[in-house]
Amino acid sequence: MIRRQKIRLIVNEQEYELLVEPSKTLLDVLRDDLGLTGTKRGCDSGDCGTCTVLLEGMPILSCMTLACEVEGREIQTIEGIAKGGELHPVQKAFVECGAIQCGFCTPGMVLSAVALLNSNPTPTTDEIKKAISGNLCRCTGYIKIIEAIQQAASSLPSS
Amino acid sequence: MRELGFNHINAIAVDEAVGLLQKYRGKAKLIAGGTDLLGVLKHRILPAWPEAIINIKTIPGQHYIKDDTEGLKIGALTKLSDIAKSETVRQKYRLLAEAAEAVGTPQIRNMGTIGGNLCQDVRCWYYRHPHHVEGRILCYWQGGKSCPASTGENQYHSIFGGSRGCMAVNPSDIAVALLALEARIKIASPRGVKVIPIEDLFDSFGNALESDEMITEIQVPRPLDRARQTFLKSTSRKAIDFATVSVAAVITVNNGICEEARIALGAVAPRPFRTTKAEEAIKGKTINLAAAEGAAAAAVRNAIPLHKNAYKVELVKALVERALLS
Repeated sequence: MIRRQKIRLIVNEQEYELLVEPSKTLLDVLRDDLGLTGTKRGCDSGDCGTCTVLLEGMPILSCMTLACEVEGREIQTIEGIAKGGELHPVQKAFVECGAIQCGFCTPGMVLSAVALLNSNPTPTTDEIKKAISGNLCRCTGYIKIIEAIQQAASSLPSS
Repeated sequence: MRELGFNHINAIAVDEAVGLLQKYRGKAKLIAGGTDLLGVLKHRILPAWPEAIINIKTIPGQHYIKDDTEGLKIGALTKLSDIAKSETVRQKYRLLAEAAEAVGTPQIRNMGTIGGNLCQDVRCWYYRHPHHVEGRILCYWQGGKSCPASTGENQYHSIFGGSRGCMAVNPSDIAVALLALEARIKIASPRGVKVIPIEDLFDSFGNALESDEMITEIQVPRPLDRARQTFLKSTSRKAIDFATVSVAAVITVNNGICEEARIALGAVAPRPFRTTKAEEAIKGKTINLAAAEGAAAAAVRNAIPLHKNAYKVELVKALVERALLS
């Protein structure tokens, strides 16, 4: 009998205490235990990026992360991006530019874009493409997504 | 993966990790970035479940990039994204930075480690077929009667023959770069520490680590400033993909004549290897198109393409030529 472990997760600045089996992935915990279904289960094998979350600001794949291994570390999901009822500039730009069709890739895309703009507020088109190269989209052909990220970048207050 | 039962242990020292590996007698696996291991576990492709997963990310002091006059020392748990971004690596060991940048996706590079990339299991879509999708495919290594790739869909498989009947390839980008850079690998086990040339890390099927051994450090001698370093990775898509063919080269040229050549090939055989045939063909020659073509042809002289992957032979020739002429 494999013993469940008590772990403390910090998600979107809130602390949660959970009992999890060692084999549970962060994706499983976010969606099934915390009800944060914004993070998607696409391929569940590290190939599509729909499970992307930010670990201390860094994009990672939650489907390939064991929940017990990120104990005590700050995790941000798509639910934590809008602040005080205001959409993040990236989210606003996605809406305004028509970068959302079915919406399944959108949470992961937005998080990859947020991480990019946090470290590089003036990315070139190539840098944008590279930053989202781990997020597959079957609907849009990526053009509007790239435009949205460019628009978000130019709308950021200049440093 | 919910029904899997394994113990999860956070190691806090290398000795503890290898001691646990020994205690579990081959039934425990180390986890670093987890980007290969979790896929292997979810798809149930291992012959037996690990009873324990030993987390080595909790061992302090395994994540470093140190450079001195002798060369580079990189902790095995250093992330690929850190290696790709490191100014030291980009300036003096550019080949390694480019290889690290070429792995997977930004998310995978934020999780994956240099040691882990070297330890990745081979790629073959029969071997890796998920257990839960439309019934099991048991390849030769998994107890099946024969290698399905040898007469099946072998577009991405080996062009240099199989290993004991297995046609899978090792596509590690880090491995080809380190082979061309003549790296050495430090390995810890309950028996102590040893440092081996990177060639000896790979045997004819996957890597040659014992079940209680762990890579702790990668050592790269400083290449000459005038050595040309090239990394070329051919893929179906521009990102994400494993290499269809990869070539890493360190070529030292003096007055247009090749003094030394180190050329490594990846994703074309069960292990990444240096093509000494091409290296010998170009050494001492003036590097021009004819010499590069000659070396490229030498690289594939004993290729044995399968019925769907002869294109890889042409791709290897083209990339070797390009690496020499760049």
